[in-house]
Amino acid sequence: MKMKTILLGAAAAVALSACAARAERGADGHLNIIYWQAASILNPFLSGGTKDTEAASMVIEPLARYDEKGNMVPYLVDEIPTVANGGISEDLTTITWKLSPGILWSDGTPFTSADVVFTAEYCMHPEGGCQQETKFSGVTNVEALDDLTVKITFDSPKPFPYGPFVGVESPIIQAAQFANCIGADAPNCTAENFGPFGTGPFRVTEFKANDVVSYEANPNYRDPAKPAFATVTFKGGGDAASAARAVLETGEFDYAWNLQIDPTILTQMAAGGKGEVVSSFGTSVERLMVNLSNPSADLGDKRSTLEGGPHPFLTDPIVRTALSTAIDRNLLAEVGYGAAGKPTCNVLPAPAIYASTANDACLVQDIAAANAMLDGAGWARGSDGIRAKDGVRLSILYQTSTNAVRQDTQALVKQWWGEIGVETELKNIDAAVFFGGDQSSPDTYQKLFADIEMYTNNFAGTDPEAYMNSWTCGDIPTPANNWLGSNMPRYCNPEYDALAAQMGQTSALDDRAALAKAMNDLLMQEGAMIPLIHRGDVSAHSNTLQGVLMNSRDSELWNIADWSR
Amino acid sequence: MLNYTLRRLMFSIPVLLFISFIIFLILDLAPSDPTGNLPLTIPPEVREKIRESLGLGQPMPVRYYKWCVQFFVNEPLNIWDQYWGTCSFGCEDRLRVVSYVTRSPVVDLIVQRMPQTLWVVGMSYVVGILIAIPIGVISAYKQYSWFDQTGTFVSMVGFSVPPFFSGVLVIIIFSVQLGWFPSIYDTTLKVVSWDTFMLQVRQMVMPVMVLALQTTAQISRFMRASMLDNLNQDYVRTARAKGMKESVVLLVHVLRNSLIPVITVIALGIPAVFGGAIITEQVFKVNGIGQLLIIGIQGGDAPLVQTLTFIFAVMIVMANLVADIMYGILDPRIRYD
Amino acid sequence: MLDDTAKNKLIEVHDLKMHFPIYAGIFRSHVGDVKAVDGVSFDIFEGETLGLVGESGCGKSTCGRAVLRLYDITGGSVKINGQEIGETPQNELRKMRPAMQMVFQDPQASLNPRMTVEGIIGEPLDEHTKLNRKEKLAKVHELMDAVGLNRTFSNRYPHEFSGGQRQRIGIARALALNPKFIVCDEPIAALDVSIQAQVVNLLEDLQERFGLTYLFISHDLSMVRHIADRVAVMYLGKIAEVAPRDALYADPLHPYTKALLSAVPEPDPDLTTEDRVILQGDVPSPTNPPKGCNFCTRCPSVMEICRQSDPEFREVLPGRFVACHHFNENTNAT
Ligand SMILES: Nc1ncnc2c1ncn2[C@@H]1O[C@H](COP(=O)(O)OP(=O)(O)OP(=O)(O)O)[C@@H](O)[C@H]1O
Ligand SMILES: [Mg+2]
Repeated sequence: MKMKTILLGAAAAVALSACAARAERGADGHLNIIYWQAASILNPFLSGGTKDTEAASMVIEPLARYDEKGNMVPYLVDEIPTVANGGISEDLTTITWKLSPGILWSDGTPFTSADVVFTAEYCMHPEGGCQQETKFSGVTNVEALDDLTVKITFDSPKPFPYGPFVGVESPIIQAAQFANCIGADAPNCTAENFGPFGTGPFRVTEFKANDVVSYEANPNYRDPAKPAFATVTFKGGGDAASAARAVLETGEFDYAWNLQIDPTILTQMAAGGKGEVVSSFGTSVERLMVNLSNPSADLGDKRSTLEGGPHPFLTDPIVRTALSTAIDRNLLAEVGYGAAGKPTCNVLPAPAIYASTANDACLVQDIAAANAMLDGAGWARGSDGIRAKDGVRLSILYQTSTNAVRQDTQALVKQWWGEIGVETELKNIDAAVFFGGDQSSPDTYQKLFADIEMYTNNFAGTDPEAYMNSWTCGDIPTPANNWLGSNMPRYCNPEYDALAAQMGQTSALDDRAALAKAMNDLLMQEGAMIPLIHRGDVSAHSNTLQGVLMNSRDSELWNIADWSR
Repeated sequence: MLNYTLRRLMFSIPVLLFISFIIFLILDLAPSDPTGNLPLTIPPEVREKIRESLGLGQPMPVRYYKWCVQFFVNEPLNIWDQYWGTCSFGCEDRLRVVSYVTRSPVVDLIVQRMPQTLWVVGMSYVVGILIAIPIGVISAYKQYSWFDQTGTFVSMVGFSVPPFFSGVLVIIIFSVQLGWFPSIYDTTLKVVSWDTFMLQVRQMVMPVMVLALQTTAQISRFMRASMLDNLNQDYVRTARAKGMKESVVLLVHVLRNSLIPVITVIALGIPAVFGGAIITEQVFKVNGIGQLLIIGIQGGDAPLVQTLTFIFAVMIVMANLVADIMYGILDPRIRYD
Repeated sequence: MLDDTAKNKLIEVHDLKMHFPIYAGIFRSHVGDVKAVDGVSFDIFEGETLGLVGESGCGKSTCGRAVLRLYDITGGSVKINGQEIGETPQNELRKMRPAMQMVFQDPQASLNPRMTVEGIIGEPLDEHTKLNRKEKLAKVHELMDAVGLNRTFSNRYPHEFSGGQRQRIGIARALALNPKFIVCDEPIAALDVSIQAQVVNLLEDLQERFGLTYLFISHDLSMVRHIADRVAVMYLGKIAEVAPRDALYADPLHPYTKALLSAVPEPDPDLTTEDRVILQGDVPSPTNPPKGCNFCTRCPSVMEICRQSDPEFREVLPGRFVACHHFNENTNAT
């Protein structure tokens, strides 16, 4: 066994060195990438869109990235600071990064701690409108100890201090270039925002907003043998199907991002043999949010708030369990998602260490059991086949955003719920309104003027702490906080809040994992949410392209320096 | 004629101002939010800050006034300065109309989009007209012949088949099956040699044809109807009685008269060229003005949408004026004064 | 005028037919014909004016155009100067066009609105002569003088003229190629009375100067009486009667001619109107003319035979041709 591993390792090493010997910067010519949503700007601090952050990720880099398995990989540093190696203080309030020496910006100037400090200032400026501000939450000070050392201080112990400067959404920009672009001036720096200098494998040669980005290999990139491609075109526009076609059918492009299209069509296209469909699973979960407060319009201002009183029937745990048991998640995944989805019973299905197995019973649909549960709880079928108890009918308004897959899911779920004597009314709302923050609209997902709503949410990176905090009592959207809050179910359980608080104090990974699992299980068993599908990202690359490692926790182009033909 | 033109231009100023205000009002009332498309991972407080940094906190009249100053004063000054290389009236901190999404001046974006829009949509308009006029002439001259019937059928197809269908169909035939033309338009291509010129032609063929089909359908019908109107006129019989050649009768007498209304229709269609062809641009990834507009709408990018729609409004008013003036020039019976 | 018959025939029309097909339905099937001209025969002698009269819609204009072969005729023969042109294809006819011209009914519609007077009059000169620009202009001016138009107007467009002036342009245009024969299709119908006289006088002058032969179409019987040497009366696509002018006006033979003439306002009130004939009913449709004599539905002296067979068009008195069964009987009787 051991012998075998060593041999394999040796073989791999030989293969790698053989590769390295051959490799030469720019030897593989031109690379064509298509993102059907075009990049608007190459400054991720001014745009949270994936298309923009990923287009920028070829140029500007964070100190460390997540690899395809969710492990942190040092990029501009030699090692990841931990408590063990002294990079994180014992009291968990500071983290100190040591930059790798000798790294140059694409304009040839050296990369120093001043750039890191500047980046923090840039994003934390109150008037800058920085879209990645959450990455810096709790940061009180970022200082340069010397040219290559940066120390970040937090206002309270941070068990997971890898928010700033880790991952695709927190890259470093050059202080010299952006010096005049801080605060309110940020949006006026068009040239800078369209062509940032970076430490990454490529640099921008031409940027056409909302259309196309042209790159060439960065002559100052730290690895002289990389990147293998001399130039890259990052084209935007069209739709997912045409992007898939350009890679899988016509072969005009080498890589296409985010191919959320009808799974059967994608399989057909892939059958052409020109390219390959790849997927990876991050933390996105399509889930039903169960409204535990009363959405009745009669309540006026108190509608869908805890003050308005509990929901007439969804507060009954048996009803929630029955609703969940009646759903065939495998069929939903097959019909709507194909390679891009698998059934799940957890709202926190990944990374693997956080994934609970305690709720897996829901993977099997069991209409009979659901019916039995409701019968047992006294929900008797009326003459119209709909169950009721004490004058309360099981009649559900089920809302989601307008989207073909979501409407298919709604229709299937409605049918299954019908089989257990639950009446369902479906509603779909334009995504811009549903997810838009318009206070005057009654149809936002935060107001939840319905019994159940469905959408996908996720968290970036690997640490679930902030995400799990979404379901604490303090995060319930109410008129008082302008409906700003992410606890859509209006779930409020002191036990859960205690676990969340405890996680904020715990730094050991295993303990954090245990807590996260416990919180997930609590949410699942209490039925505040009914998870349906663990959604993946689907992309495609041409058969000639080597080195693609699909990554849902960082930029899909995170290792583009290693891509070759 | 000059007086007439000046008078019309003067009248159009209040009209356009009013239009710009209405556009602003509509965009303001529309439930679109520039932060609406951001990932859900961005928390509400951050969204609020982003909105404020975009100037959305200010009251509507203030924002409208700012847009007016930026668009009607600063942008023209900027063009002036760029053209002459000067710096007048404090060009350093002159505020331009800036897009919410790209954070770059909207006018620059539009200028950047012009080449591909003009090449593809403009060319398709020209091609469409060049095909439509002979078709219209022949169909009218040989009314109810098989040529006319075929023309009627083809234009029915052109009218009724939407470009998202015909576009995808030609992509599947000519890009996927035959591999003749690229399915994705390369806006970075610069024509510097014969080869790059051929590449440009190849990538234009499909979008131009799809769009030209629509133009052809429309204009050829107009042309046919107008020719038919004129063919039965007495002056045509006069021309024949003069013993003129049939080609002279048709091309000099009938065609010249029939073109008058058709040219008006063509002039009125020009704003649509600048407006781009939203769907076709999307299908072939031409990324011209139309795609810019649609992205602006999707992203809640009010300054971009406001400026583009306003420019369209100006174009439409201008095209109407041009159509009227052309009519006056072409038809000696019409005189404006 | 009878002695004029000795003159040679410039135009000989025999059994001329012009039917316009009617299509209907989705498949545009041929469902019938408008028999606008249905078997017309007459001759015109050189230098004379033949008046062609009849109600509106009876086929006068069609007949005039068919004679000039502005239509591809359905049947019959047309000879001009002894040469058959009934079947000649249009592009061969073009070379013969200079000899035969037409002044159209509607002076506004018959002039190309986008051409100046000079262009309109001069265009045929390009086609049929080898004049250079200057000669052409001189010719145009000469023609404008001839019809009484101010030369300085030569760069104006038709819409800038009055109705009478426009008709003069139409006449000048027709004269440009020195024709022998001109069909004047109601050249005065669109004009007011004072100008009518001017134009008719102009036509008469020109006839004298250039030795023209006219087919003068009109529904105005008094005008025809003034200008024509002989008169043909048309009813529903057919000729009812042809006669020298004075004979016709003095003693109309065909019941239709009688009716027409009795409808002419009589300037002299002493002449009684006792025998005024008022026609009853409407003109039948040329698509579906009545069986027998086509006037039988309205004829005041209709006989049984009129509903059975079509009367022959024949010379009943020297120089007088009539299509009526009454005269068949008479001649048979005598
Ligand atoms: N091109 C055509 N197609 C079909 N029918 C026609 C056509 N031209 C004329 N007709 C018909 O032929 C008949 C005779 O028309 P024509 O113009 O010769 O009448 P007209 O005697 O000149 O009348 P008017 O005195 O009103 O000018 C009318 O019934 C008319 O509708
Ligand atoms: Mg007539």
